[in-house]
Amino acid sequence: MQLLLKPFALLGRGGMTLAAGVGQWGRLTAETVQAARHVDVWLRLLIPQMARVGVDSVPIALFIALFTGIVLALQASYTFTGAIPLYFVGVLVGKTMMLELGPVLTGLALSGRVGANIAAEIGTMRVTEQIDALETLAYPPIAYLVVPRVLAGIIMVPVVTALAIGVGIVAGWITAIQLLDMSSADFVNGLTLFFLPFDVTFAMIKATSFGFIITSIGCFFGFNTQGGAEGVGHSTTRAVVVSSMAILVLDAFWALVLL
Amino acid sequence: MSRAKEALVGVVIVAAVLLVTFGTLWLQGVSLRAAETEVTAAFTSVGLIRPGNNVKYRGVRIGRIREIEVDPQGELVLVRARIQDDIPLPEDAVAILSPESLFGDWQMEIAPRDRFPAYRYSEPREEDHLPGYSIPDISQLTATADRISADIEILTERVGIAFSEETARNVASLIENTEEVTQRLSQLISQQADAFVGVTGEIQETTAEIGEAAVGLRETLDRINATLAREEVGEALNDLLAVTSNLRAFSEGVEGTSDQFRMTAARADSTLMRVSSLLATVEEGEGTLGMLFRDPGVATEMEGALQELQLLLEDVRLNPRRYLRLSIF
Amino acid sequence: MGIVIRDLHKSFGPKVVLDGFSVEARDGETLVILGGSGSGKSVTLKHVVGLLTPDSGEVEVDGQIVSTLAREELFELRRKVGYVFQFAALFDSMTLAENVAMGLRRKSDMDREAIAERVEECLRLVDLDGYGERTPSELSGGQRKRAGIARAIATKPQYLLYDEPTTGLDPVTRAMIDQLILRMSDELGVTGIVITHDMDSAFRVADRFAMLHNGRCRFEGTPDEIRACEDPVVRGFIEGRPELMEKES
Ligand SMILES: Nc1ncnc2c1ncn2[C@@H]1O[C@H](COP(=O)(O)OP(=O)(O)OP(=O)(O)O)[C@@H](O)[C@H]1O
Ligand SMILES: [Mg+2]
Repeated sequence: MQLLLKPFALLGRGGMTLAAGVGQWGRLTAETVQAARHVDVWLRLLIPQMARVGVDSVPIALFIALFTGIVLALQASYTFTGAIPLYFVGVLVGKTMMLELGPVLTGLALSGRVGANIAAEIGTMRVTEQIDALETLAYPPIAYLVVPRVLAGIIMVPVVTALAIGVGIVAGWITAIQLLDMSSADFVNGLTLFFLPFDVTFAMIKATSFGFIITSIGCFFGFNTQGGAEGVGHSTTRAVVVSSMAILVLDAFWALVLL
Repeated sequence: MSRAKEALVGVVIVAAVLLVTFGTLWLQGVSLRAAETEVTAAFTSVGLIRPGNNVKYRGVRIGRIREIEVDPQGELVLVRARIQDDIPLPEDAVAILSPESLFGDWQMEIAPRDRFPAYRYSEPREEDHLPGYSIPDISQLTATADRISADIEILTERVGIAFSEETARNVASLIENTEEVTQRLSQLISQQADAFVGVTGEIQETTAEIGEAAVGLRETLDRINATLAREEVGEALNDLLAVTSNLRAFSEGVEGTSDQFRMTAARADSTLMRVSSLLATVEEGEGTLGMLFRDPGVATEMEGALQELQLLLEDVRLNPRRYLRLSIF
Repeated sequence: MGIVIRDLHKSFGPKVVLDGFSVEARDGETLVILGGSGSGKSVTLKHVVGLLTPDSGEVEVDGQIVSTLAREELFELRRKVGYVFQFAALFDSMTLAENVAMGLRRKSDMDREAIAERVEECLRLVDLDGYGERTPSELSGGQRKRAGIARAIATKPQYLLYDEPTTGLDPVTRAMIDQLILRMSDELGVTGIVITHDMDSAFRVADRFAMLHNGRCRFEGTPDEIRACEDPVVRGFIEGRPELMEKES
């Protein structure tokens, strides 16, 4: 009997942990929104955070996009043999980069880079009482630590994503011309054929939400770090895992809601 | 935080904003140089056209569809497009929606009305809206083809009764031809869209054979010419009349019941009407079929009509895309 | 107006840390809290600035009950309080100068130059002049501790809470920090709470003593009173004789 109940008990506990976690994260989010009124506290920190979240992530995001574009073009041409005209390589590269791979791969890369960074930094500040020190110096820690990071994520992740999409498409384009014996006109024809301005909107909506998720989850786990170095490591890992999963779930959510 | 880093943030943001703005404009096909103007065309229905599709004039891309909306009365669909404003459109310009490629992308073609006079263009409410017509897609085509084949079967039976002896033999071989064509057509319809390549092939084959049948019909008429002296000719004429009126009725039925297959049906219709009116003239005027075939003018006209039918079939054979849609995405 | 701790209870899970601790640091005086390691001294101090909320009981600072304050009021109160953390808690992403300037930026309306001047002055007070551009990772533990003190005193707060300010310092620096604590109280009239294990230092700075034991106040009195105290726990603690304390428990 005990043995039979165990999986259910585990499931129940898991569900409750998840619900509690989501609840706490929701509260942190609400507090972040409230803390945003301390403009004097976070404004000075926004640009440095934008540099960290955005500018510093550009190389890795573009690197990923570059190879994604190349592989997309090659695989598309491999798939579209025979009946389907080659300009569909352009369609596929453009649509896939914009709707899916651009935002999602950038999001996943940044959840590793930015999310982990934030969780580790804030976690360390938590366990070394730096957050307490902030409080005693009359800085609201959420306004000081969370608001600029989340804002930077919301602003810069779409920016990085846009650049990644551009690079991915150009990489696919060059691949198509150089390796696939397609003409530039063919590729561009495919690219423009099914293009809708909404594709861009969709990509940016996704990227914005990913920016929010990555940074707010990073802050959340950082803030709730307990213990010493081990606790920081634990928070960092969890921040990456949870925000990656959240990105994929959110990705499906947007596809359901907006497409 | 150094100035340089702040500037870098700015540069990255500006780069992304520029990329998004100009990338979107470029992909939308908005030309930043050439001035553009808007045209609106009215349709009763619009098939699969979407914002962003190409607008063409004499085969050249001159703009893009911008917006599609049902007009306030709900009877017409207004399609707005932005096109280059340096194109002198014809006085009686009309807009035709048709598949651009086999993969579901449609286009709007602007043409003078007399290029495809047989289409049933919509009547726009606004003075400056173009009358529009949307080409039916493959499913509608096959439905109509089904009906045609049924009618051809009836026609075949009738013609089988009409003549005897040598003529009858000649006609019978034609009928056989026609029957074969009919069967192929039915087969084609039942297999439609199994594979797009196969479909096209069959359509080409089928239409080629319909064309041959038309040639055969003309030959048969020549042979009829040779048997004019015979008594039963009058009877044969009556039967032929019945056949043509039946064909006419079928094509009317096609048009009346389904708002489809308009180009094919309309052209076939006008051809058959001319055949039938010729026959009627002969019957009323001269009373004998002899006059019809002795008068070279009449014969020429008959031949012209048949040729037109052949041209139409040829068009179906050469441009199956116009009648065919295969949606992959 | 002083700091009054009344009947403070605090537990972490099953572990009871404070079990009715009451003590008072009167206006302008320096209170030294003694107590064994893990007895809850740091926890008590965190209640004073609202970093922890009591399970029951209350802390009154400057006439206000800390746990009942709204966030904004709490931040107002914190502007008047300086806190020296046991492990310095310097911001490691900033230089020492920036660390010290943090409070000034928030708590005062000084301009850049005035802040820079005050930062220099504070660093000099803790014998760290010239270290302004270093980051905490480039400092020794004692230097960090002193930087933490500089950061806490920079805003010239009315209340100063020192959590083991002299632990880990050499005797000379220790004496210098004691001087500093005395100066703060003499010249600025600061009300202070000092936690320390260093009895020499305690007797140098204390106006009064309190001893935290088993979550409660075991002793409260002047330096003379504590010297004369017969309580074996207090005696054992200040003389470093565990055998006396064991008898008690
Ligand atoms: N955040 C916390 N969560 C759980 N337990 C805690 C927490 N903070 C303190 N404690 C526990 O409370 C007790 C008192 O801790 P505190 O830091 O106040 O000790 P202390 O008197 O300052 O000791 P020391 O002289 O070694 O600094 C310890 O047993 C500690 O384990
Ligand atoms: Mg302590």
